[in-house]
Amino acid sequence: MKHRCAAIFGYNEYSKQIFQQIKESYKNVGLFVISDTEFLSAKNDGINVEKFDLSDDWSAIEARFDMSSLIVFCALNDDAENVFLTISLRATFEKLFIIALAQDSESMMKMKSAGADKVIPILQIAANVIADILGKPIMTQVLHDVLYEDSPLTIMEMEIKENSPLNGLYLHDVHFKRDFDLILLAIVDQEMGTTFSFASKGQNHHIDEGDILVFMGYKDKLHRLKEWNEGVRG
Amino acid sequence: MLNRWVVNFAFFLHTYHPYQRTKFFFYNLLENQHYRYKKYFDLFMMGLIFLSVYILIRSVKHEIPHEWLLFNNFVISFIFLSEYLLRFWVHSNNSKVIIDQYEHDLFLHRPFSFWEAMKTIFHQKMEYILSVTAIIDLLAIMPFFHEFRLLRIFILFRVLKLFRYAKSMRRLISILASKKFEIITLVAFTMIMIMVSSVLIYIMEANDPTSRINTLFDAIYWSVVTIFTVGYGDFVPVTHGGRMVAMMIIISGIAVISFSTSIVVSAFTEKLDEIKEEKLIDGVNVLKRMYIICGYSPLVHEVIRKLHKRHLSILILEKDPKKVLQARKEGLLALANDPASLHTYTLLKINFEHQVEAVILLHESDVANIYAGLTLRELTKKIPLYSILHHPENRKKFSLAGIDHIVNTHELVGRMSRIIAHQPVAFEVIHALRSEQTSTIVDEIILDAMVSDRFYRLLDDPLFYQRFSVLGIFSTSRQKFHFNPNHEFKIQPGDVAIVIANRNLIDEFRTKLHRRG
Repeated sequence: MKHRCAAIFGYNEYSKQIFQQIKESYKNVGLFVISDTEFLSAKNDGINVEKFDLSDDWSAIEARFDMSSLIVFCALNDDAENVFLTISLRATFEKLFIIALAQDSESMMKMKSAGADKVIPILQIAANVIADILGKPIMTQVLHDVLYEDSPLTIMEMEIKENSPLNGLYLHDVHFKRDFDLILLAIVDQEMGTTFSFASKGQNHHIDEGDILVFMGYKDKLHRLKEWNEGVRG
Repeated sequence: MLNRWVVNFAFFLHTYHPYQRTKFFFYNLLENQHYRYKKYFDLFMMGLIFLSVYILIRSVKHEIPHEWLLFNNFVISFIFLSEYLLRFWVHSNNSKVIIDQYEHDLFLHRPFSFWEAMKTIFHQKMEYILSVTAIIDLLAIMPFFHEFRLLRIFILFRVLKLFRYAKSMRRLISILASKKFEIITLVAFTMIMIMVSSVLIYIMEANDPTSRINTLFDAIYWSVVTIFTVGYGDFVPVTHGGRMVAMMIIISGIAVISFSTSIVVSAFTEKLDEIKEEKLIDGVNVLKRMYIICGYSPLVHEVIRKLHKRHLSILILEKDPKKVLQARKEGLLALANDPASLHTYTLLKINFEHQVEAVILLHESDVANIYAGLTLRELTKKIPLYSILHHPENRKKFSLAGIDHIVNTHELVGRMSRIIAHQPVAFEVIHALRSEQTSTIVDEIILDAMVSDRFYRLLDDPLFYQRFSVLGIFSTSRQKFHFNPNHEFKIQPGDVAIVIANRNLIDEFRTKLHRRG
């Protein structure tokens, strides 16, 4: 795993859930709060938190974490403060991986402009789920199981290495469905920037080093493909 | 003996289903505004009224065929008479009055008071007979006795009957009725003015040989024409005294006109919101399939944006009028009614089974959502209830309240954070597919055994090959998802394919799949 430690800013229902979900995956997880109320609330819940302010003094964070392997979750209650926190972190740490929560699509754009690598638009996601449960209940259940439950099916993103057998091939040359029992969902072309295109649209895509391919399939088969891509298997 | 017979007969009628059914049918047809066939009945009656007035107007200068007159005098009048008698019948329930009186007397160990019951029945029936609409109805039947030529003028009461059938006219009356006191004051003031000025002008002008106002009727006619600012000029005062009276009544006339205009305008202004609300409720009643959303918050806005693609109507119920106003400004159908109150659904007369696809509880508090959920479950067990959950510890309470699907954004965000931290690109892909931001979407296609062969054949079609991804088929009978199925997989009726492709390609696939031949 690229990131070994995580810092969560804010103490609310969202940050509590983030903490619960990621605490097993990281060696070092820290919760940072801005106000005394949040500090006391976390203490009452028996969770250790540290205080921080929105000044540019990040020495406490730098002292606690190895910044090169840190992932940050900006989950403050107030969107304006969250944007400010994101932009402050980005101004100081250029390479830091920042995930920010945004209440609506307007804040989402601001978070992106402020330098967040990924933004979770809360309202949009909740609305998508509600509308999907109403209109496409089976699809919603299947994707939910694949993404969040301990299902044999999962998704995987895979970066094409220099020595990968896929490097230099066209998408239509490889039959992932037939040969690997996997479905290629999308591809991120390094030459085209960070935006992705769906596999169903670009079969003439030339696979190059640095491209990221997103698959869905059974864990063992995904693992086999990963090994093959890395040149472990023939 | 008579008392016993009356009570037995009342019990018989009360429990005799064909009688009760017939009465209920006529009650709906005549009085229930929400009965689906009432509007046809009203249109039929309005047609008869117009026909009857047309015959009267035509008869003034033309010879009317005998059959027309027969139709007007007998058929239409007979229909009106029947309607009057049916309204008289359904206005009150005599058998219930007798039974209530009997049970009341029985409870108090008294002999059945026949005359007390008759008195109640008489009062209830008189209440109908003396109502303005019933009097108009009765007078509209009068032309039946067409031998009395003068009574033919009563046909105009048929025009007044229109008030009964046209909803906008009923609304106009109810609006004006809210200003009863002001209207009575205005009428009294006008009548006094007319009376005083008529007497004065008569005294001033009647003995003057040059004046045309010679009788009291001339004086009253002149006063009415002047006070309402018409002033034909066929009668004019010639004496100084008469002209003084004219000046006085002209000034009063302006007051009368402005006062009456202001009464009507203020009545409409005050009732405007009520009228708009009524119109909205009427609009809800005619909706065929809809989603009901309880509560209005920024989340509702997002959900509606997504749901609009399903081309179903959406009704928002929110008790805070400010939020309702905000929703209406956004062009949404919102009513300022408490979704947790049974009264709301009685008022709106929503037919859950036929009108409602699902109810979504999106209040910003769990308490409000559970309360609304329990109210809805009291009304119907069949409608699916969806709710947002704000505090995970309340999940069990939501299930107990009968809410079928619960969405907890905090939990969702927590789980997403895990995925996004490990596989950010994969997360983006799934999010883009689900939010339908691009032309490529993930969708469901319902299958049956009939289309099984065609389904696999179409997948090999050059149009769809490699452009149409089947993630898998969900078997509804086995409740199992079969990932990446091969052509040997047997499709069962009701199975659902989950596909990823361009939305137009998915539509094309669906069309080709279900095309005959």
